[in-house]
Amino acid sequence: MQGWDVPGEKIEPTRTVETEKLKTELLTLNMGPQHPATHGVLRVEIKTDSEVVAHAIPHIGYLHRCMEKHSENLDYRGVIPFVDRMDYLGAMNQELGYVLAVEKMLGTQVPRRAEFIRVLVSELQRIASHLMAFGTYALDLGAFSPFLYAFDEREKILRLFEELSGARLLYNYIWVGGVWNDITADQLARVAEFCDNFEEELKKYDVLVSQNKIFMERTRHVGIMDADMCYRYGATGPVLRGAGVKWDLRKVKPYSIYNEFEFDVPVADGDRGATIGDCYSRYIVRMKEMSESVRIIRQVLTKIESGPIMGKVSKVIKLPKGEVFVRTECPRGELGIHLVSDGEAKPYRLKVKSPCFTHVSMLGEVAPGQLIADFVATIGSIDIVLGEVDR
Amino acid sequence: MLNLNDLAQFINSKVPSAAAKVNAAAEAVCDSAIEVAPASILDVAKSLKDNSKYPFNVLQVISGVDYPDHIEVNYMFANFDLNNAYEFTLKTKVKNKNDAKLESISSVYKAADWQERECYDMLGVTFNNHPDHRRILCPDDWEGFPLRKDYVVQKVYRGMEVNPDAKMNWGDREFAKRQEEITKAQTKASKK
Amino acid sequence: MSTNVETVSVKEYFHSLYEGVTSTVKGMWITFKYVWGHKAVSIEYPEVREVLPANARMRLFNDVDNCISCNMCAIACPVDCIYISSVPRPAGQEVPKTDDGTPMRQVLTQYVIDTALCCYCGLCTTVCPTESLTHSNDYEFAQYTLGDMKYDYLSPEVIAWKPRIVGKEPVYRK
Repeated sequence: MQGWDVPGEKIEPTRTVETEKLKTELLTLNMGPQHPATHGVLRVEIKTDSEVVAHAIPHIGYLHRCMEKHSENLDYRGVIPFVDRMDYLGAMNQELGYVLAVEKMLGTQVPRRAEFIRVLVSELQRIASHLMAFGTYALDLGAFSPFLYAFDEREKILRLFEELSGARLLYNYIWVGGVWNDITADQLARVAEFCDNFEEELKKYDVLVSQNKIFMERTRHVGIMDADMCYRYGATGPVLRGAGVKWDLRKVKPYSIYNEFEFDVPVADGDRGATIGDCYSRYIVRMKEMSESVRIIRQVLTKIESGPIMGKVSKVIKLPKGEVFVRTECPRGELGIHLVSDGEAKPYRLKVKSPCFTHVSMLGEVAPGQLIADFVATIGSIDIVLGEVDR
Repeated sequence: MLNLNDLAQFINSKVPSAAAKVNAAAEAVCDSAIEVAPASILDVAKSLKDNSKYPFNVLQVISGVDYPDHIEVNYMFANFDLNNAYEFTLKTKVKNKNDAKLESISSVYKAADWQERECYDMLGVTFNNHPDHRRILCPDDWEGFPLRKDYVVQKVYRGMEVNPDAKMNWGDREFAKRQEEITKAQTKASKK
Repeated sequence: MSTNVETVSVKEYFHSLYEGVTSTVKGMWITFKYVWGHKAVSIEYPEVREVLPANARMRLFNDVDNCISCNMCAIACPVDCIYISSVPRPAGQEVPKTDDGTPMRQVLTQYVIDTALCCYCGLCTTVCPTESLTHSNDYEFAQYTLGDMKYDYLSPEVIAWKPRIVGKEPVYRK
């Protein structure tokens, strides 16, 4: 463009369009950190070739609070509120994972009633979390009303948790040695009522979303994470079960009192024309898991025993020198707590293996070759909570 | 149940330089682990993945721990097989803290890619031959490694003051220190 | 949907069209039933207020008449938002007692909670030996500045909350 402002010089058209010489180049698109389809503050740097994703690089850390460093300066009870804040949609399950690690080192006997309440609340939390996943996933793919129906049901669970613990989202309810408050017979009756009602709701969701042709076309054969890929990346939870692997820690290595309950581990079987490992499989595993959770809750309601809710724990918790690695099955996958103690009243090191961290790292391999709209469907199907990815 | 002694023998037979030994936990409630030499970590990872006797198909997590004289890197391996499910912790100790280096195992286990990046970001262990060796949680130009025990937060980051005094509420925090002055001032005021 | 174009026969094409329409109509019927069949669940907030459960963890309230300045709450707090200091009671002065009979050996000189930092975990209320520190049910305390979120529980304005929260008149034990 030189010589434009030289007076008297004749400006000639410098470019002619020759269509056969036109070539496309990759366009870099920044998706997030504030984007409704990334479920939080995930930033994905996408290189697109027209509408097709060529590379995708997930960037995380926008919600990093270094909770692991914080917990090195807190006593063992004070860590629980911080653990809540990792996965704020599945706080009960996170608390249970951390508390089990402390109790394993402490050798505490937890009263039977507390164990039943723990299983009850963590299964209810699993339903609440999967409802959220279901609602937002439908929202990602353009269906708005399932989101509202899911929130309506989730609200009942949150209301119960609020009465139990005093908070709606970040409970600090499961304590080392037991649980904070006892559950009343009235509340148990309400849980039973919720279970009856919820099975009807699940059938409704099935017709509304799962059997919808448009939803199926958007999710079937999209974002395939097969079993081999899951093993390579260490994926767990609904992602692994969506790949057809019947792996659930509650069955394989039962913690708490999960060995006393009868339930199935739902895996993707490729019905309704889905490929095993695609978005639809992961979605359908979550839907089936909800009805299995209802089954467990029903058994808790019949088996629950009366008794104390707190075991004997000293005022200042001091763990022996050593370390443990405890895994529990959270709504999003396996939560691993690596707790190192040096004999003091504070953890020496607390490392959290978060399932979503693993699943986000898989995005880079799944994305190439997908349409951008399908990539959104893939992000939604792994159900990430960025608070847990970044910790 | 997995017998750690047998597994350590198995690792030694496959990789003689590993010098694998069982770190038995002092307390029964704690977990035992197998410790190997840091230089042999890649070979050990290869032998753990590709064998028929103790196949470990999943690397769950890499967890670094900072000790006064060394950095310990823990690799949690597991076998996600219903008939043959087991897991164990592999430890290795990096002695030189100022120049902590390990071989990357991300060519064997893809999961190690991000886990090693996190270990580098938080504890400053460099992984050789890593495909994408960057910080992951902190910004790229962050100074220091937060999970080291001697970590001090940098004062200024990109022209922004970290923990500025105006937000630290020193007035209330140091109330007790200034208590005498305050009570004197109060008694003076009441006398007037 | 994969990017490679699949060949579809005319019959399959119309069949999937039919499926798309019927399955959507089935879903629409479910949403349609919500028009009359369901009670509205949302609450019109400023006019209608939901009653919180009794143990809801909202703004903290310390009843300074019962506080024995034991510092337990400040130690238990995971975010260090409680600032408490006290001086020994001067010799010869009569030692007042809390409602449950615990002697108040210290004179409380500062009790400040920065609710902007508070994480509402409830750990401080569980360790309180005289149960003077409790979570009240107040949740409407939005402020313009962060400094306004700091409450001095020794100030007369905050002590005046006591009848509303605890149900007793303040006694001003000093």
